[in-house]
Amino acid sequence: MEEPLLSAGAGERASEASVPPAPRLDWASKEFGAIYDAHAQSIYYLTLRMLGDPTQAEDATHDVFLKAYRKMHQFRGDSGVRTWLYRIAINHCHNLVQTWHHRHMVNNVDNVVWETTSAGANDPLRVLETKELGQRIQKTLDTLTEEYRLLLLLVADEKLSYQDVANLTGQTADAVRGKLHRARKAFAAAFAKFA
Amino acid sequence: MKPDPSKLRQKAQEEQAAAFEQTHPKRAALQFASAEEAIRYDAGETAVPPQIAQRLNESIAREPKPAVSWWRRWFSRDTRE
Repeated sequence: MEEPLLSAGAGERASEASVPPAPRLDWASKEFGAIYDAHAQSIYYLTLRMLGDPTQAEDATHDVFLKAYRKMHQFRGDSGVRTWLYRIAINHCHNLVQTWHHRHMVNNVDNVVWETTSAGANDPLRVLETKELGQRIQKTLDTLTEEYRLLLLLVADEKLSYQDVANLTGQTADAVRGKLHRARKAFAAAFAKFA
Repeated sequence: MKPDPSKLRQKAQEEQAAAFEQTHPKRAALQFASAEEAIRYDAGETAVPPQIAQRLNESIAREPKPAVSWWRRWFSRDTRE
């Protein structure tokens, strides 16, 4: 059996276990309501981890679905709805991140360190509380380049193929595989540092 | 014959321990084979705030109705006449 790369203690997320269910959507378009129900979780998670802030992610998810609602008549069905929504979400997050970078002049020089770090990358890692896992994953993703972060988040969605990820990130499926290998190593190395 | 008090105490302790185990199961370590697996688990544990749907409902209600094309208006007029 393959040695696990990352390990974490089991437990419940008390803060999230008590979240009330989403209100039933009574939008004019029932079809759009079904789209929201099917994809909101994935889009919210992507925006959350791309932006690193729950409030910003909430706004971004709202904006993404509102844009989708406005552009529904333009959706040609060349790609799946999920891929289409991801594209809107990625562009939205990218624009927000770019604006923040320009505004705050943030330079994450540590990325260079993570890129080249390999020691301990294959060691099993332990997290005592599952509720800490999200924070730790966020910290880890924050150290990666936007490209690696996005690749890992998209590949983690089992409903997307490598080709879908390639289309979304504007590269070939082979390039995705190659970069993914480096992204995984960078992630594991950074994850170990936040133990 | 009187039962040995130390054995009784030991049995009681064992029963208490078994009951504790049942009510407080040991935390099994979660293990992830890859970064994606950890992310996937985290995504599954992350709930979408319900207020997003609420806000979307309100935003969509404020959206202008899509314009009706001239040919739709034309045909609807024909059918009324």
